[in-house]
Amino acid sequence: MALFRRKKADSAPAEPVIGMPMVDVPLRTPVTVCGKVTRMRTRPAHGVPALVVTLRDETGFVTAIWTGRRTIGGIALGRTICLEGVCTKASDGATFMNPAFTLIK
Amino acid sequence: MKIVIAGAGSVGRYMAKQLSASGHTIVIIDNDPNAVSRVENTDSITSIQGDACEVDILTAAGVSDADVVAAVTGDDEDNLVISLLSKQEFGVPRVVARVNYPNNEWMYNEMWGVDVSVSTPHLLTGLVEEAVTEGSLVRLMAFDHGKSGLAEVTLADGSPAINQTIGSLQLPREATVVAVIRDGHVVTPAPDTVLHAHDEVMVLASGDCDADIRAALIGTK
Repeated sequence: MALFRRKKADSAPAEPVIGMPMVDVPLRTPVTVCGKVTRMRTRPAHGVPALVVTLRDETGFVTAIWTGRRTIGGIALGRTICLEGVCTKASDGATFMNPAFTLIK
Repeated sequence: MKIVIAGAGSVGRYMAKQLSASGHTIVIIDNDPNAVSRVENTDSITSIQGDACEVDILTAAGVSDADVVAAVTGDDEDNLVISLLSKQEFGVPRVVARVNYPNNEWMYNEMWGVDVSVSTPHLLTGLVEEAVTEGSLVRLMAFDHGKSGLAEVTLADGSPAINQTIGSLQLPREATVVAVIRDGHVVTPAPDTVLHAHDEVMVLASGDCDADIRAALIGTK
């Protein structure tokens, strides 16, 4: 689960992360996807800020929502990042809520 | 549907019984062995003893393929943690959480993974208000993250809606009359239903259109 994976990610040395094609992301199963940040928004969710990021690869896109923050150091347009977490279907497609992430380049 | 209930108190046990009677599969979790022992295990109700705020216990309860998680413990902080984990770690489509202290209600939102919050004090206030007020808009419940809700207006004698048909009411586009209660009976609203004084009009509305509903049903005074 992401909470535990996050701890592992802190201690383990970086190894190449292989994500799956975004078009194949299954719902409600822990997965890793990698892609380029193509869109960033902050939205007030009930007065509480949330950072909404869209990632794209050659096959499709996913959305990541981090609640309670407006920015995350290292996440910027054009960066490639990998997300680890569980995907839910939301109105704007496959969505990860507070996923663990790895900055690639 | 598979439903996981966290909290085997009177609320959790009652829900388990009712929901299993309607044919759902229930898993009920509680940290207290005494509470768990009071759950009547049947074919469709399974009980698990453990802390529902731990991912391992939620995994054991099968939250990963649950359709609904209901966090109904007596602890608001536990309910919020259970909601957050269910949404974030398991992607549960619908998370229902119980508000014990009304002061904490503001936290029961998307940020904590809550889709629907149920607050008994809030509900009671709404119902009492509805019983004693005539000619004002009473919010009975909210859903869809508070974006829409059910409101009720009891038509007072001076209401502009009296002797009007429902079709001719100047209601905003986002609002619709879903039921009229007249002398204790439900009248199914049709465009040609004529409203009378003391009718209880139930309005389902999304967005912020309270002012327009008030104008149509109560009048601008």
